[in-house]
Amino acid sequence: MSSNRIHAAWFGLHFFLLTAVCLAGIFWLIAQGATILPSACNEYARKAELGATWCLGKEAGPSNPLRRGIATYLHAAGIQAGYSFFAPNVPTKHRLTLELFYDDGRVEYESPHVRSKAAALRLDSLLDRLPEQRYEPVREVLVKMLAFSVWREHPNVKKLRATFGLVNPPSITEFEQGKMETFQPMFSFDFSLRDEQKQ
Amino acid sequence: MCWERLQAFLFPRETDTWLAVLRIGLGLQTAVYALFLRSDWHYLFASSGKGLVGREVGEAIASFDSPLIPKLGWLVALGGSVNMSEETVLSVAWACLLSAGCFLLLGLFCRPAAIVAWFLHLCAAESGGLLAYGADSFMTTALFYLMLSPLPDRYSFDHWVVKTKPKNPQLLGFWRRVLQVHLCFVYFIGGLAKCLGDGWWNGSNLWRSLIRPPFNLVSPDILIRFKYALPALGISICLLEVSYPVFIWMKKTRLVWLVCILAMHAAIGLLMGLYLFALVMIVLNLAAFGVPDTSTSAHTPLMNRDQ
Repeated sequence: MSSNRIHAAWFGLHFFLLTAVCLAGIFWLIAQGATILPSACNEYARKAELGATWCLGKEAGPSNPLRRGIATYLHAAGIQAGYSFFAPNVPTKHRLTLELFYDDGRVEYESPHVRSKAAALRLDSLLDRLPEQRYEPVREVLVKMLAFSVWREHPNVKKLRATFGLVNPPSITEFEQGKMETFQPMFSFDFSLRDEQKQ
Repeated sequence: MCWERLQAFLFPRETDTWLAVLRIGLGLQTAVYALFLRSDWHYLFASSGKGLVGREVGEAIASFDSPLIPKLGWLVALGGSVNMSEETVLSVAWACLLSAGCFLLLGLFCRPAAIVAWFLHLCAAESGGLLAYGADSFMTTALFYLMLSPLPDRYSFDHWVVKTKPKNPQLLGFWRRVLQVHLCFVYFIGGLAKCLGDGWWNGSNLWRSLIRPPFNLVSPDILIRFKYALPALGISICLLEVSYPVFIWMKKTRLVWLVCILAMHAAIGLLMGLYLFALVMIVLNLAAFGVPDTSTSAHTPLMNRDQ
């Protein structure tokens, strides 16, 4: 009987945390104005999101043991993120193009790449995360590392320009009219072996 | 009274057939995961300067959440203390993950294999957190539940060799209930979030998802022929997901909903190349609702026994 009570208590706690994670995700989407709900809901959603993240201990200090304990459990159970895949709308694809400048004036174009299709999917996932605000502090470092991964294969390159941007797909009507996807640059970085400079 | 009703819901008596489906399915999933990433394993998880972006950034982000979250860096540090190179440690981790998958598939050393598979997959998912996607979360969750479930099941080699005692049917029922409730959360939240986007009501999201590289396995010229079906399909997906918690519980509609959900995941796998995602979702659905329900109310016999 006591074993049943322990299991039931764990069940309640586990799904309470999952509910908080899922609601935080939904409220975040609404607060961002990414949904069809009127913008008057955004402020309420922001407050509700704070309530949900409070339940997850995220309002406590980074070294708070309860916050760390909850975070560890959520990651261990794979429930640290909600389930709003491809929602409310399918996110726009992002692309990183690398211009390789050689000593002799040659210019080549490359993109970071992997061998398998399964890994390519993961690389794509990384590129789509780069514009997110939470990755802003590590964005330049990540682009530099991606550029370096290509540079290792082209050791004679003198300078490298990394351009990151959105790939806007055509709508059905635009596709029928013969329009193709368009690339909209967001930011670029110049790297050389000795120094790097943000443009 | 309330506790009895809750107990009846949480602890139905079940056989271990669903657990065998989960174990075999996750064994296959883990093995396929390892094999799919075989050629890129070192490139994805090597340290900075050797791999794609280096695992340090992903590990630093995970450590910011909590330093207790397992990561491949722990194994590399452990290997370093016995003079093992990073490359060797990563190779051993990959081999262990593949072996754990095969062991689960066969039902050999079920519990240790489930723990190893969960731990190594979690390490990889956290170290490569920036490279992770939905399939990783579901795999972690599924292996987490499998690891805690009353293994081994009667279809495993373990049971055949050691002749283990039959597991507590209520405990089997409890873990199946956990899986069932979890899936209801997944689809309800996923469906609700989709309902909030205008693109799922007019079909444009289906179009965008199917022409978006690297998911663009079907030519847009073929898709355009079905352009009038896209809004209906988009709305169907929203309704199917958001109503899942209701109709999957009702015995009359369970089979229809299950078949539709399985068809949706099979289509995601085949049309978008999301094979790992499709496989793990199909396995979870089959284990949770695919195996015929053998549950009986637990509280009455249990109360009698306890008294």
